[in-house]
Amino acid sequence: MSAVGIALVAFVAVTAVATVLVRDVLSAIIIFGAYSLGMALFYTLLLAPDVGLTEAAIGAGVTTILLLVTIAKTTRPIGDRVLASINWPAAVVVGVLAVLIGSTVPYIPTDNFTGGLTPVIANPNVTGYYLEMTYADTGVTNAVTAVLAAYRGFDTFGEAVVVFAAGVAVLVVLHTEVFS
Amino acid sequence: MLETAFLTTAAVLVVLAIAVLYRAIKGPTMQDRVIAVNVLGTNTVVILALLAVALDSPSFLDIALVYALLNFLLAVAISKFTVKRGEVI
Repeated sequence: MSAVGIALVAFVAVTAVATVLVRDVLSAIIIFGAYSLGMALFYTLLLAPDVGLTEAAIGAGVTTILLLVTIAKTTRPIGDRVLASINWPAAVVVGVLAVLIGSTVPYIPTDNFTGGLTPVIANPNVTGYYLEMTYADTGVTNAVTAVLAAYRGFDTFGEAVVVFAAGVAVLVVLHTEVFS
Repeated sequence: MLETAFLTTAAVLVVLAIAVLYRAIKGPTMQDRVIAVNVLGTNTVVILALLAVALDSPSFLDIALVYALLNFLLAVAISKFTVKRGEVI
């Protein structure tokens, strides 16, 4: 990993831990914005600029504002301490989980990322068909868009219906509830 | 050679971002934190531009532009929240 990557790992780790430990919620939201900046840089460094762009718009932009609107209903903690006290049993459990997940990282096949000759694909036949025939079948140049909107169009339509129904349900509940 | 120089500069800027993080966590006032995150955002824009040159992919500059816009939005939203708590939008 390059020097930029190592420095970014340190930055993201520090912001993630600080987000958990800071007592004031507003401070946590601000530091979480910084975490989002680091993650977007990471995605860009790993040559996934589209994911980085999404992280910039959703993570740093929309999420921060939604969280700010939400904490308007809360009150600030009393006292001058910056960091919260650590719940050690929970911290140990989280640490063990992180080490367990981290120990699987070396076993991820890396042929795909280092330009090996045999790409790691779950269903090579299906994926190969999509990549070769997408333009001939659908006339869409982006393979991902073609799969989502053409090959699995009904699936995507169903997802849209579910999300729409959930939104309508939330609106109905919010409008009938009386806050006293 | 030049790529290495740009990547090294980006790495140094990320290390400096970690230093700015001290102010974002310690505070003590909320204004300190807002300014710290603003500096981090500007830092990010510069790092993205450096990466765009070093990795020879001009499309990264688009992300840098989005960041420059979002950075402004973020600072305004948080500032408005702290001045008049609860009225973000």
